Amino acid sequence: MALLEVIGLTKRFGDRTVLKGIDFSLEEGDTKVIMGPSGCGKSTLLRCLNRLIEPDGGQILFRSEDVTRADTDVRLLRQRIGFVFQQFALYRHLTALENVTLALRKLKGMSSRDADAKALLELRRMDMEEHRAKYPAQLSGGQKQRVAIARALAMDPAVLFFDEPTSALDPEMSREVVALINRLRYEGVTMLCVTHDVSLARYVTAQVIFMDAGEIRAEDEPERLLSGHHDPRIREFFGNLGHADA
Amino acid sequence: MDFGRILLLLAQGAGQTILVTLACILTGLGVGLGVAVLRRLRVRGTAWLVETYTYVFRAVPVLVLLFIMFFGLPALGLKVPPMLSMMLSLGLIAGAYLAEVFRGAMDALDPQELLAAEAMGLPRWQILVSIELPQMLRLAVPGMLNEFTTVLKYSPFAYTVGIPEITRQATALASTTLRGVEIYLAAGLLYFGIFQLLRIGVRAVEKRFEIPGFGMH
Ligand SMILES: Nc1ncnc2c1ncn2[C@@H]1O[C@H](COP(=O)(O)OP(=O)(O)OP(=O)(O)O)[C@@H](O)[C@H]1O
Ligand SMILES: [Mg+2]
Repeated sequence: MALLEVIGLTKRFGDRTVLKGIDFSLEEGDTKVIMGPSGCGKSTLLRCLNRLIEPDGGQILFRSEDVTRADTDVRLLRQRIGFVFQQFALYRHLTALENVTLALRKLKGMSSRDADAKALLELRRMDMEEHRAKYPAQLSGGQKQRVAIARALAMDPAVLFFDEPTSALDPEMSREVVALINRLRYEGVTMLCVTHDVSLARYVTAQVIFMDAGEIRAEDEPERLLSGHHDPRIREFFGNLGHADA
Repeated sequence: MDFGRILLLLAQGAGQTILVTLACILTGLGVGLGVAVLRRLRVRGTAWLVETYTYVFRAVPVLVLLFIMFFGLPALGLKVPPMLSMMLSLGLIAGAYLAEVFRGAMDALDPQELLAAEAMGLPRWQILVSIELPQMLRLAVPGMLNEFTTVLKYSPFAYTVGIPEITRQATALASTTLRGVEIYLAAGLLYFGIFQLLRIGVRAVEKRFEIPGFGMH
C-alpha cells in the first residue's frame, strides 16, 4: 500500500512557480531518493509534504487520507513524519538525550523515565548512547546527525524525510551516515531522501526521482540515471556531479 | 567622626537602595518578558500597544515619569506609594529597554532549530517555552546585566519621593556635618559594593545555567 501518494502538487512563490505538478508515490517500507539541480524545488517539496509550506494545489494522500485538506490536524501529521535537516538543527541548549526526549515528553506525554528509556534505545541504535550527556557543541558533525536521526526515530514516525543529510559532513562522516541510512532501509524504515550525494543513492540503491525546474523529469534506478541517460538534462547533471567528485 | 563611622551610617540606606533596585529590576523583567513574548507570538491587536510602550518609555526621563506617578496621579485621585511609583517609572523604563535586549537575543536564535521544532509538531507556545525562552534568556545575560546596572544608578531618584536610600542618608548627613567630600565618597563606595553584589549574583545564575559551547562567552 502506498504510504504517500502525491498528485499534481503545485507551489508558487509570488509569480514564480516552484513546483509545477509533482506526481509520485512512496510505498510502506520503501525508500526513494530525490536529486536535482540547486533551486529545482526539492526542499520546497519536502516541506509541502508535512505542510511546513502550504501547497497551492494538488493532493497529498498520506495512508489514503488527503492531508492538504483544511481540517487536517497538521501537528499530528508532522508527528508522523520524522524530519532530518542538513545542518542537524539540534537544540543547542539541550543534551543529546534531552534532544531526543523533548518531543516524547511534550507530545506523547511520556514520563521522564519512559522518555529516557525510549531515547536511550534510539541513541544506542545510532551508536550514540555514550554521548547522551553531551551538548551539540561537544559533538562532531556526524555525531550530531546521528542524534538528529535518533530524535526523529524516537517518535516512531511512519516515514523519515531527509533534506541533504550528508551535505554538511566531511567524506568520512558522510559515509558513516550513509551506512546508517542503509541500515535503516534494511530495517524497513520508510524514507524519502533529498541529496546531492550520488554515493548515497548508489549505496542505498533506492529508486531515484530526478527533479528539474519544479518537475519530475525521470524516476529510475540510480545506475540507469547515472550513465548515458537519453535525457540530455540528466546526462548533464550527473556528468557535472561526476566531475565534482573527481 | 571617622570614615568607617560615615560608611556605617550610610549603610543603613543600603537596604533601601537594594530594595528599590530589585523591585524595579523585577518589574522590568516581568514587563520586558511579557513584551518579548507578545512580540514573538505576534499576538493580534497588541503590536501598537507594545510599540507605543517601548517607544514612549525609552524617551521620557526617569525623574519626569517618577513625578508624574508620584505627584501627578494623586491629583487624579490615585494615591501611589513611593515604592510603587518607582516601579511604575524606573521599573517600566527598564522593562522597555529589557524588551529591546530580549528582542535582540530572540533575533540571534537559529531559525533552523525553530523549523525543526515546528517539523516535529510541537505547538507554538511549547516551542516558545522549551526552546526560544531558555536560549534567549542565556543570550540576553550581558544586556540584562547592563540594564540592571542602569537601574541601580538611577535608584537615587527614590530619594525625591522620600525613600531613605543611600543618597538621601548622605545628603542628610552632609547638611549637618559639612563633610560632604568624605560622605559622598563613602556613598560612591557603597554603590560600587552593591554593583559588585549584583554582578556576582548575575554571574552565579549565569554559571548555574551555563551550557558548553552555547552563547554568552
Ligand atoms: N519562502 C520562499 N519564498 C520565495 N522563494 C522561495 C522560498 N523558498 C524557496 N524559494 C525559491 O524556490 C526555489 C526552490 O527552492 P528549494 O529550496 O526548494 O530548492 P532546492 O531544490 O532544495 O535547492 P538546493 O539544492 O539548493 O537546496 C528556489 O528558486 C528558491 O529561491
Ligand atoms: Mg534544498
